[in-house]
Amino acid sequence: MSGTGVGHGPEGPGGHGPGGPGGRGQGGPKGPGGRGPGAGEFEDFQLSQMEKETEEMLRVRYLNDENAVFERTGTGFLSLRVGEEFYPRVVVVRMFPFSDKDEFISIRTAEERSREIGIVEKMSQVSGETARMLEEQLTLRYFTPVIEKIIKIKDEYGFAYWNVVTDHGACNFTIRMGGNSVIHLSDVRILIMDIDENRFEIPDINRLTPAERKKLDLFL
Amino acid sequence: MVKMENNKLPRQVYTFLKEKGIREQDVLYTAQTDLNAEGEFADGYLVLTKDVLGIIQAPAAEDRVHSFRGSSLLKAELTEDTVYEEDAQEPDREEWSAQFVEIDRLERLWIENGVGCNLLVGKWEDREHCLTMFTHLQKRSLAKLTRGIEQMKRGGSPDFDAEADEYCPKCGRMYPDRARRVCPNCMDKHNVFFRVFRYFKPYRVNFVIMMATIAVTALLNLIWPYLNGNILYNKVLAKDPEFLSGIGLKPDSFVTALLMLVLAMVATKLVLLLFGILQGVLTARMVIGVVRDLKKDIFRKMGQLSISFYRSRQTGGLMTRVLSDANRITGFFVDDAPFFLVHALTMVATIVVMFAMNPWMALIAVVMLPILFGLNRYLRPRIWVMFGRRHRAERSMNSLINDNLTGSRVVKSFGQEKKEIQRFEGSSRRLKEAEIAISYRQNWFQLVYGGARELASMAIWALGVYFIMSGSGEEMQLGTLITFVGYVGQLQGPMNFFARIPNRWADSMNSAQRIFEIIDAVPEVLEAQKPRRLEQPEGDIELDNVTFGYEVNRPVLKDVNLHIPAGSMVGIVGRSGAGKTTLVNLISRMYDVQEGEIRIDGIPIRELSFNDLRRNVAMVSQETYIFMGTVAENIAYANQGADLKEIMRAAKLAGAHEFIMRMPDGYDTRIGSSGRELSGGERQRISIARAILANPKILILDEATASVDTETERVIQKALNYLVQGRTTISIAHRLSTLRDADYLVVIDHGKVTEQGTHQELFALKGTYYKLQELQTKALQLKGEIGG
Ligand SMILES: Nc1ncnc2c1ncn2[C@@H]1O[C@H](COP(=O)(O)OP(=O)(O)OP(=O)(O)O)[C@@H](O)[C@H]1O
Ligand SMILES: [Mg+2]
Repeated sequence: MSGTGVGHGPEGPGGHGPGGPGGRGQGGPKGPGGRGPGAGEFEDFQLSQMEKETEEMLRVRYLNDENAVFERTGTGFLSLRVGEEFYPRVVVVRMFPFSDKDEFISIRTAEERSREIGIVEKMSQVSGETARMLEEQLTLRYFTPVIEKIIKIKDEYGFAYWNVVTDHGACNFTIRMGGNSVIHLSDVRILIMDIDENRFEIPDINRLTPAERKKLDLFL
Repeated sequence: MVKMENNKLPRQVYTFLKEKGIREQDVLYTAQTDLNAEGEFADGYLVLTKDVLGIIQAPAAEDRVHSFRGSSLLKAELTEDTVYEEDAQEPDREEWSAQFVEIDRLERLWIENGVGCNLLVGKWEDREHCLTMFTHLQKRSLAKLTRGIEQMKRGGSPDFDAEADEYCPKCGRMYPDRARRVCPNCMDKHNVFFRVFRYFKPYRVNFVIMMATIAVTALLNLIWPYLNGNILYNKVLAKDPEFLSGIGLKPDSFVTALLMLVLAMVATKLVLLLFGILQGVLTARMVIGVVRDLKKDIFRKMGQLSISFYRSRQTGGLMTRVLSDANRITGFFVDDAPFFLVHALTMVATIVVMFAMNPWMALIAVVMLPILFGLNRYLRPRIWVMFGRRHRAERSMNSLINDNLTGSRVVKSFGQEKKEIQRFEGSSRRLKEAEIAISYRQNWFQLVYGGARELASMAIWALGVYFIMSGSGEEMQLGTLITFVGYVGQLQGPMNFFARIPNRWADSMNSAQRIFEIIDAVPEVLEAQKPRRLEQPEGDIELDNVTFGYEVNRPVLKDVNLHIPAGSMVGIVGRSGAGKTTLVNLISRMYDVQEGEIRIDGIPIRELSFNDLRRNVAMVSQETYIFMGTVAENIAYANQGADLKEIMRAAKLAGAHEFIMRMPDGYDTRIGSSGRELSGGERQRISIARAILANPKILILDEATASVDTETERVIQKALNYLVQGRTTISIAHRLSTLRDADYLVVIDHGKVTEQGTHQELFALKGTYYKLQELQTKALQLKGEIGG
């Protein structure tokens, strides 16, 4: 990682708009052409800019308490300061939501075509407060009730109607039969997707009672 | 999750709004949300007036049942100790929090899709605010809200048209297909039945004969126990003189009578056998014919359906399902339906005969019947569940095998044979377990059901023997008993039949319905009622504010305006996933635009006849497809009448001639699946030749030469240049050198046209195009710099 890190010339962070506004609203034919110095200079600059972008795409930057400061924005999001870069809003995404949900958390810009700012390798490696803030964002994004009890599953005409108790209370939902609505994450772990793609999870089918497992027979 | 009627919120919300100074009549649109910021279920309400957007949030409500889409049916059925919304108390508005955002201040409002939860985000004063959150259940109605507000901000009036019902008004079941609005429960099964019946019409003679043979068989079956028991034992062996004289024999010629009886019995069995064979032959003929006719109709329809029809159903699964559906329907009509009457009659006749013979024993038999019937009905579904499981295990094993066969190269090249074998073993173990479970279940069924049956027949035997011994029933003789037991056995068939017929009926009618659904499906991309012709097109294309997305709330193209003058060659560039392919798919009307309009020669393509559109617009797509057949057939695909010389010329223009000639059988080499394999570039050139031969006015090349070396590409381009005279050509390419002959270029980024103009203009603009160009010309140089 050479010195290409931050604040390059006049463009600075605005170049690829971590703040979001650049990426969204405007665009338009005249957008990028507007700024920038004379033609000759420009060519050189563009090249190094491109070089920088390529390098950034290949770079893996790990974030920890030393180099990154997360803060609540007060509008429901998180902001991030990494060195001299400041991102008024970041998006928190799991890289391995099923195999390891507390490791490799990708911190991304909030544009439509978001870019990775850095990676939090392990939740345990950041301070409790930071972990809590990240967790809040993740809880929302990955909202998935965990099924604790199966009361009834009724299948009829290509749909299966489920009545279950989850860690978020009792739920009724409907899945399409025969498709890929029931996904086996492992031998014992099941993910269920209803017709709107709402998700429900059974972390371990062996923890269900035999009678409940019998109701699941249709999908095993 | 409160039930809404015409988008109405609970009364409390309006009272609450009134306190905040918003009158009910000012409310334009309302929506509900179901989560809070902590990721718990919680009610929320969105209210839009022409000035403000109100966001009301109630506290978490985890002690209530949450019903997602389609589950209202179940809700009515369950009366567990759970509290439903209707029974819940009126929400307490003391604890509500509210936020009001002025529409004028709101710069933008959009939905961000999460995995299990979506956010409604608003932007004002340069800050993004997370306004509320909700599950996918509410997404549709919130998407409407954001669209409406967008329309308001553009100065238009929002249209919040009501959505079509998705539940059957009769029984509350959700329609499997919202567009079709057919309730599988309430659909007119008789109607479907008679519709299927029409397919049997050409075979009606067959059918009548079959019915006749079935009836005769049933009659003979009814006679058999009588011959076998009553007549043999009671009359002939007992040398009943009355009987002998009754059939016109001398009183002592019982040997003759015995001979006649044996002959009659042999004849009966022989007729039964013959009729059995006849039935088999008739059935086979009819089934094959009907299934063929059904499939023919289906395939004809499938050709007309739009791409999204196939996308919404997995094609592979669709095909196998259609075939098994067709078989199931005919199976029902041939194996079940004709026997209905026969079995019913046999049953009634048998019971009547039994009562006539001995009312007491008949009573026992008749009482046993419903018990056995119930047992049968109760036990069988369990076995079916097991069969379903085996079917799934089988399917997963098959797809694993299929995966391994098609991907054998990858498996081998990464040396993963061992792991694949392990995977296979796991899969085949599951199949084995399913098989074992089935035989276990079946044995169990045999044991219970068979046991009960034996018990019943034993009871009848015992009673019969008692009657014979005690001599109380004067009619009761050994022969009568044997006949009687024979009749009891005879009842088994109809009983099994009636136990399974309701399911078979429902299943086959559902299969039929599914098939008719395809046959009746209205293609999403529909030809206009009175299509306009386009006989001599100029090839002028215009896109006017085109917006399109594969999913409702995710536009892939946004407000695209583009004019491609007749006869010009336009190059389209842009990042991977920017929407280039989507754009050309719209021009050839694979999909219909959601907003805006596309016109060819000033005529909206929606109004054009399909035939003219397809004839005049040809596309070489990114994914080449080679059909099974010869090279020549593949090239002449769109122009069956082309002669060999034209085929050859097209191949030459596409730079395909040379490699075709190097193949052993030249233009007659068989390619496609089961034929010779072609390289990626070779396939592309065949596709180009196909498009050239189609001779369209508008030619679309989507990465048509991406897999071809630069030299060959140059050859093809020269040929195309010569070809594009008087033709409108749209060419998509990542390699900019491909587009060097383009009259002008269009840059698409994130579904928008960001730059357009000639090479020089775009280069001078120093935008995306410039960047791409620089990157490509200086790629090597750049690489060197990074490396150093
Ligand atoms: N059938 C589909 N259903 C849903 N989304 C789709 C479908 N086809 C394409 N997309 C999505 O639409 C976007 C645009 O796709 P499109 O194929 O138009 O890209 P493209 O510009 O042709 O890219 P490329 O240069 O890689 O071919 C992509 O994000 C893609 O994932
Ligand atoms: Mg494409």
